[in-house]
Amino acid sequence: MTSSPDNPISREVLRRRIFLGLFAALAVALHTMEALLPSPAPWFRLGFANIFTLTALFLFGARAAWSVALTRIGVGSLFLGTLFAPGFFLSLAGGVLATLLMVVAKDLCGRKIGPVGVSAIGAAGHATGQMIVAWWLLVQHAGVWLLYPYFLLFALATGVVNGLVADYLLEILKGHPAFKEDRQGNPSSDLV
Amino acid sequence: MMIRDLLGRTTILDRAIVLVLAAAAVSLVFFQAGRPPGEKVIVERDGRVVFTAPLAVDRTVRLDGPLGPTTLKIHDGKACVTDSPCPLKICMGMGEVARSGDLVACVPNHLLIRVSGGREKDKEYDLLSR
Amino acid sequence: MSKPSRLSRPFFILLLLLLLYGLWIFSRPAEEPSQPLVRSRLLMGTVVEITAFGSPPDALERAVTAAFAEMARIEELMSPHRTGSDVARLAEAETEPVAVASETAEVITLGLTVAARSGGAFDLCLGRLKDLWGIETDHPRVPTPEEIQAALEGTGQKKLQVIDNTIVKHDPRSAVDLGGIAKGFALERAARVMEEAGIRHAAVNAGGDIRLIGDKLGGPWRIGVQHPRDSGKILARLALQDVAVVTSGDYERFFMRDGHRYHHLFDPATGYPADRCQSVTVVAPRADLADALATAAFVLGPKKGLDFLKSYPEVEGMIVDAAGQLTATPGLKGRTQ
Repeated sequence: MTSSPDNPISREVLRRRIFLGLFAALAVALHTMEALLPSPAPWFRLGFANIFTLTALFLFGARAAWSVALTRIGVGSLFLGTLFAPGFFLSLAGGVLATLLMVVAKDLCGRKIGPVGVSAIGAAGHATGQMIVAWWLLVQHAGVWLLYPYFLLFALATGVVNGLVADYLLEILKGHPAFKEDRQGNPSSDLV
Repeated sequence: MMIRDLLGRTTILDRAIVLVLAAAAVSLVFFQAGRPPGEKVIVERDGRVVFTAPLAVDRTVRLDGPLGPTTLKIHDGKACVTDSPCPLKICMGMGEVARSGDLVACVPNHLLIRVSGGREKDKEYDLLSR
Repeated sequence: MSKPSRLSRPFFILLLLLLLYGLWIFSRPAEEPSQPLVRSRLLMGTVVEITAFGSPPDALERAVTAAFAEMARIEELMSPHRTGSDVARLAEAETEPVAVASETAEVITLGLTVAARSGGAFDLCLGRLKDLWGIETDHPRVPTPEEIQAALEGTGQKKLQVIDNTIVKHDPRSAVDLGGIAKGFALERAARVMEEAGIRHAAVNAGGDIRLIGDKLGGPWRIGVQHPRDSGKILARLALQDVAVVTSGDYERFFMRDGHRYHHLFDPATGYPADRCQSVTVVAPRADLADALATAAFVLGPKKGLDFLKSYPEVEGMIVDAAGQLTATPGLKGRTQ
């Protein structure tokens, strides 16, 4: 994947590929590490990997966000050995619903919404998606919804934290030499 | 101030969204008040029923899980967890349950305590004469 | 640069609606038809469970509690083992008139009628016989024939007389035992208490002896009758309302000795447990009548017992004889398994 005068890959595409790869890898790493943390309960994950989904969304758009999210869920569960285990479906449902809501929220609200708002919506979607799958596949008892409010609040809290971290990350990245054109509109020769 | 820095990273819409979602979550807690009263308590560990008892009879029961004994108290038609070896004691914080479908769970100790009402009885008869 | 997919917007609206719908469904209070109040207590040596429909809930609760209290009161009155109870005092008395509560007089009057009509198969004076066998205790035993003969003294017809609220024993050896009828009477009283409190749909179940008030709010109560030999099966399912159902069976309280089963339903003629039936179920308008008739029919056996039940037009019943054969009165709308 080199850029040469004969086969110029645009700076944007290159930048996007490199960073998305980085984000996806980091997301998987965070997801895996989080699973190793002692947790009060199996479902109550902090979801820090979502920081990268958020960043991808704000930097590169919806399709990028989906790539990072799905990679994280798929590869992450492969690494953890939970592929197709019940926990996987919970994670998948939560992740898909979250990403969907985030993508559309960003689309609808444009500049009016920031990473924190998007992340909050995503967190709510994640919790709800997990709740639905848990009720439908696992417990099958309407009483499980008694846990939903607490679940939701916890998810909201971590969502806000994730959003703030993503905002900080975005700020740093936008100042990075690789993104210099965003500030000046001219490609810089410092890349690579 | 750090809080101001953090708040500066949010837009008005962001804050509105978080507040609305939080309010919705809190209000859900109160919505779950209107369910029919239950008849008996069913305790499951790893999906298998390990104990049942009627809510009408006061008793204190020791339920064993991988972490140790969790104490379930049934009193005055309500059930609650009064002691458990889990680290966060969320199950103890869940308070008393009495309505059909209510749940208290000590997830680290693999225990699920639920209240079942008369509607769960799909036996052939309502009462048995013997 | 990628553009957000145009598919997202309608999708999002749909999903949002789905989410809101889900939230709404699971957060509404349940709108099912009213759930009954169910309470249980340990009374009369068994678990008594009352199921009652009605509102408001606190009035319902009070009525059910009052019903339990009434049953406890009747138990106090008629238990042979509580000192000072009517039955205990009757046991100690000789032939002088003993003043008793009106309820006790009522029960004994009914019992004497059933005793007479059953030709003595129902007997109110089996107290000494029951104590001898110890069937209600933890140490039952098989008495010798001599002991049984002695215990049978004071039993039989015409040993008691009721004059207003006093009882006169004609034989000082008679020991009154109301076990075959008292539980039914307590059920009847509990039902009366609830009806007076305005309850129109309820069921009182005292360990298998049942009194129904009204129907189950939209249909009759479905009463299963326990199979006497297979604890997992039922003999029949009856659709009933406003009646009492009492079953007497040799499987409820018994002990085994030398491969023989000795149960708690004694034949007053022999002093041994009656062996002509495995179980008898009686459906009658009153629980005390059902209780006494079930006990009498059990002793009488399948033929005489069924005829005896048929002699009461307002009563239906079914009998499983010693060989396991089931017969029933014609009016019983049941379904046998």
